[in-house]
Order: sequence, then C-alpha cells, then structure tokens
Amino acid sequence: MRCVRAPARLALIMSFVASTTTMADEPASRPASSPTTRPASRPTSSTDPALEELQRALEADSEAAGDSKSASKPAVPLVSTLTRTFQSLNPDISFITDVAAAYFSADDPLMGGGHDPTKTGFNLQQLELYVSGAVDPYFRFDANLVFSQFGVEIEEVYATTLALPWNLQLRAGQFLTRFGRINNSHPHTWNFVDQMLVMGKFFGGESNRGLGAELSVLLPLPWYVELVGSMTDAAGESTARSFYGGDDLGVQGPGDFEYVLAAKQFFPLSDDWSLMWGLSAALGPNPTGMDNRSEIYGTDVYLKYRPITHGSYTIVALEAEWLLRRRQVPEDVLQDHGMYASLFWRFAQRWAVATRYEYVSGVNGDPLDPEWNGLRQRVSGNITFWPTEFSRLRLQYDHDHPEWRDGYHALMLAFEFAVGAHGAHKF
Amino acid sequence: MTRLHVSLVTLIALLFPAGAAQARLKLAATVPDLAAIAREVTGNRADVYSLTLPTQDPHFVDARPHLVLKLNRADLLLTVGLELEVGWLPVLLTGARNAKIQPGTDGYLDCSTLVRLKQVPRQKLDRSMGDIHPGGNPHYLVDPDNAIRVARGVATQLARLDSDGRGAYDKNAADFAERLKQARKRWAAQLAPYRGTEVVAYHKSWVYFTDAMGLKIVEHLEPKPGIPPSAAHVLRVIRTMQAKKVPILLQEEYYPDRTAQLVSKKTGARLLILSGGTHLQQGQTYLKRMDAMVDMLVAALRAKKG
Repeated sequence: MRCVRAPARLALIMSFVASTTTMADEPASRPASSPTTRPASRPTSSTDPALEELQRALEADSEAAGDSKSASKPAVPLVSTLTRTFQSLNPDISFITDVAAAYFSADDPLMGGGHDPTKTGFNLQQLELYVSGAVDPYFRFDANLVFSQFGVEIEEVYATTLALPWNLQLRAGQFLTRFGRINNSHPHTWNFVDQMLVMGKFFGGESNRGLGAELSVLLPLPWYVELVGSMTDAAGESTARSFYGGDDLGVQGPGDFEYVLAAKQFFPLSDDWSLMWGLSAALGPNPTGMDNRSEIYGTDVYLKYRPITHGSYTIVALEAEWLLRRRQVPEDVLQDHGMYASLFWRFAQRWAVATRYEYVSGVNGDPLDPEWNGLRQRVSGNITFWPTEFSRLRLQYDHDHPEWRDGYHALMLAFEFAVGAHGAHKF
Repeated sequence: MTRLHVSLVTLIALLFPAGAAQARLKLAATVPDLAAIAREVTGNRADVYSLTLPTQDPHFVDARPHLVLKLNRADLLLTVGLELEVGWLPVLLTGARNAKIQPGTDGYLDCSTLVRLKQVPRQKLDRSMGDIHPGGNPHYLVDPDNAIRVARGVATQLARLDSDGRGAYDKNAADFAERLKQARKRWAAQLAPYRGTEVVAYHKSWVYFTDAMGLKIVEHLEPKPGIPPSAAHVLRVIRTMQAKKVPILLQEEYYPDRTAQLVSKKTGARLLILSGGTHLQQGQTYLKRMDAMVDMLVAALRAKKG
C-alpha cells in the first residue's frame, strides 16, 4: 500500500513544481492571450464569416487553456522537471584558445595568417568565442568573435535560413565565403598551426570574408551537389586583398561587390571512403584603375578514409586545393597561382601526424606584394596529441623557401583548449 | 523546338520526382537500434534509414554530406538526444534545408523524451568529469522496456504524420511490445541462475542493459567517460576484478579491445565484445540483436561458473 501511495505523493509535489515553473514561464506567453483581456482591440471589421468563426474559436481555446493551465497539468517525471528548471534560452557558447611557443630561424619570418605565430617566443594566436542557436523557427544564428592582444574582431556573424522552399538556403551577415575548402573554416578545425600561404596571399590573413548575403541550393539529384553564390563587400585589407582590399572605392554599382560562385559535390565511395570535390570562383573589382577586375579560380579535393565498418581510430585524409589568380592592372594582366596539399593520418585514438606541401608563384610589379617576384615553397610536418576532443597539443615544423630571400625554419608548439558547448563540425 | 520541350520536361521530371508516387513516409534515425525499433512500428508503410552503422561510435560521426541528402528527403527524424549526436547532427540538420524535421516540428522526435533515464547528474557538471551527458545516460535503447516506450512514442508520432496508418502503427507497436515482453520472460529465465553477477564494462554505456538483465556493473575500464584507460586505473580495475571474482567484461565492438584483452587475460574474466547496435544491413531485428547479446552473456556465464 505504501509503495503505491509514495509515487502519488511525489506526483503531487511534482505537479506543484510544474505549475510554479509554468507560472514562471508566464510572461513569455502573455502576448498570445492578451486579446482576451483587451477585447476592444479585436479587429471587428473582418467580413469573412469563416475567419470570424476561426477567430472566436481561437479566443475560446486560449481562454480555456488559461483556465485549466495549472489545474489539469499532468504530473511530470522528476527528470523533466529538473531539466525545465535548468532550461534557458541562452545560445550555446564556447571559448577556444590557441597559444603557441615558436622559434623562427629568421628575424622577420613571412607569416601572413592573422592567427599565425609570428615571432620567436610565446604567441597568443587567438581567443575565439563561438555563439550559436536558433533565432526562431526560420533562422539559425552563428557568430565567431575573436579576441586578440589588440582588441575584439567580429570574424563572423550571420543568420542561416532553415525553412526556405526548393532546397534553398540563405545566409546573411558577415561570413567567410564558401570559396574552396579551407576558406570557410576557423583555425581550431585546421590540421596545421598556420594559415595556408595561398589563402593569405590571395585573400588576406583572415581569409575571404565580408558583409553580404549568400544563396545556396541542394540539387535534387541522387548524389550531393550544392551550388553556392554569394555577394559581399569587396573591401578589407586582410579579407579581400585581391579586390578593393585596403583601398575601398565604395559602391557605385553591382560591379563594386565581390561575387563567389562554387559547386560542391560529395561521393560516398563506400562506408569507409569519402570524396569531396569543389570548383570555385571569386570575382570582383580591384582599385588599380577604372573597371579593373580581379578573378580567382580554384578547385579543391578532399579524400578521406575512415573505417566505420569495424572498430578503428584510423583516419587518413588527403586535402588539396589549387588556385589561379588574374588581376587587371594598368596596361597588364598579372597572373599567379598557388596550391597546398596535405596528408593527415590519425594512427591512434589520441595521436595524428600530418604533412603539407605548398607553393605560390609570384610576378614582377605586383602592387600588393612588390617583393614576391618568384616562387615561394613551404613544407611542413606536425604531430598532434589530443588529451580529449577539447584540447590538443601540436608540434609543427615549417621550412619556408621564398626565392627572393633566404629560406628559414620554424618550430611551433601550439596548445589549444576549449570550454563550453560542444560544437558540431562540418565534413 | 518540340525536342527541346520534351527534354526540358524530362529534366524537370528527373529533378522533381512526382509527388503522387512518393506517398511512403521516409524516416531517418541517428543510430541503428532506433531505426530497428522504428521498423517494427512502420512495418511496410515507411522506409527507415539509419544515419550510422552499429560498428560506428555514435559520439564521433563524420557529418558526411550524403547524410544531408537523407535528411533533406526525410519526413521524420528520430534522435537519441541527450547530446549524443551534438557533434555532428546539427551540421546535417542545417544543411538538410528541410523545415519538416527541424526541432519543434512533428517531424523531429527526440526519443529521450519517451524513456526512463538513468544516471541523470544531480551535481554541477564540468568536463573534468569526462564526457558526461548533462541530460542523463544516452545509451538507453538496450533496455527492452525503453524500446517499448520508444516504439509507442514513434507510433504516436507517425500517426500525426500519416493518420491513415494510425491503426497499423498502434498494432505494430503493441505486437512489438508483446514479443519483447515474452522475450524478457525468456531472458529472465535464462539469466536467473546468474542474478546479481558483478561485471565490468569499458564505457559507461551498459547500465540499462545490465539493470534489465539483473547484472551489476562494478567498474569501467575508462576512468571517466570518454577518457582512455590509464595504466594506474586499469591496475585498480584488475585488483577489483580479482577481489570480486568478476567473470565478465563487456564492451562495444567500436572501442579498441587491446586493454580489455589484457585485463581479460590477467583476471580470467571473459571479454564479451557486444554489437554497438542492430546490424540492419544483415537483416537483423532489434529482438534478434537482444537475443544474441543475452545468448553470448549466458554462454559466457555458464562457462565461467562451470
């Protein structure tokens, strides 16, 4: 007998707790029921009888709901009451820190990335604040704010639609464009401590981003094909340097924006093998003369082996991207190109090694990089140890070999640690 | 002109398959056990797809874009919830551009809301405790009672999307519940001689199963959830196992088994590598999966007890 009554008493307590939490929630739901308290504000001019009938029914419903809210609330299990009490509508927040101890064999290393270690000694690469959540049933919110020694920078803040028809999706705000593969990612997802040379030279130390809007569509085909088009401001010394860059000439017409077009395809070769292939173009104005344009074309490939048909921690991933740039300058067209190719191998639950080759060509008379008149090559290798997925320690070696000056070595010990919500990572 | 017209129509027909032909509902489940339970409920009325394999650790899944396509075309998404899929599902769900299955709609069912949860933390959590799930232990699908609850919840949800099928879904869920209840009696009888046996598990994912089967987990090889075993911790586990004469060591097939093999050798305990989920591709059902696990368990216990 006792064991029957005890849960009943518990249920009673719970329903009381539930009703108090409901009351606490009340202010949020007030606007919905306000028509019943202020009937004068009800639109009386509506002539459609069906609409009026619906309106009356809705009001009756909301009145009834108000009456019975606390009385007929069913007893809820303990767990859901607890989660209700701790529920909040705050966005998910996480902080990611990247610090590094570095040694460079040259006094003035050419580290172009905005978050690269740049000097011998300790370097704060970045403190990244990532905030995300649903805005409402129609939009999702994402923001990346980066704190450095020099201040706060809004790297990204954008809304993504969730409910557009025809498989369309719109992003609006400030965002990293989806040119190629690595551009649309943050340093904490990179396999290397520093930015890819070609991205730094063609787009800037922060990679290509801007204020604007992007429309993408998932084609209704049997395999994954996504087409992306975006329009962003063409200014920004470290975000759009091949375009207006630091020399913002303002907007007179649609030709004064940067446009990115991309096609992404994915082929699940098997359960264990994946292949992703992309084609991209970034088109926009440059400030060297009237109607002078810059064009950057790229193709990227990502081949990944991760066995999931049996227990294994192995991951082998080949990632490569090749870019070609053409810029109209007074009485000339400058053309240069560059690429990176990297191979990543996770050989144990907590350990991985990676190696990378990069080159970027140079031209004479480059208004952006006057020194860079020859080939620059860099080779890198690193080893990573993850205590957990929330921290990692990396030791990386770079050998940088620019044709126009002496080569140099770099050794970096980078430590990354994160707190807060568990982020989800793109493929 | 006509030829162009015809090819255009063909192209459009290819790109946008006719609506009438695709009346069957499409379900996506994040893990194979959930898909297996859903299949019991849908019968032949719907297609059910699992986003992961039983050999795959559901905590660490690549958000491979072909899964976006599955979600793009799904009418109902079944998740385990409790942040099990937090590292990969949000990317897929945003990429899917499918308003029907976003959280808060009838096409999104977080199955953790249907079941009795265990190990819901009461204290203030932080990650120094390992990879703890703030909402409770998410490995609840290996408890047959929870499987029944999920089946009933899925039936209710399906009836909202396809009211014509209400009778069929309810009946299928009831049949499934009945078969599981029968099986439970059978399992209880098989395991009766070994009630209360103490076992050790690799990850904190077997408490629902061992509770349902009358066993008791005394230690885990992982010192904290998600933290690989350290030598000092393993030594402590070995001593506990020797002292308590623990006969069984459990782990999923997707975890590395070298440590477990070593512990098994040192202590004489049987290492049972259990499936991480229902092997749907080989035609396994949820019931057969549970049967297989119980059979392995009974065989090992019988061998140990002589």
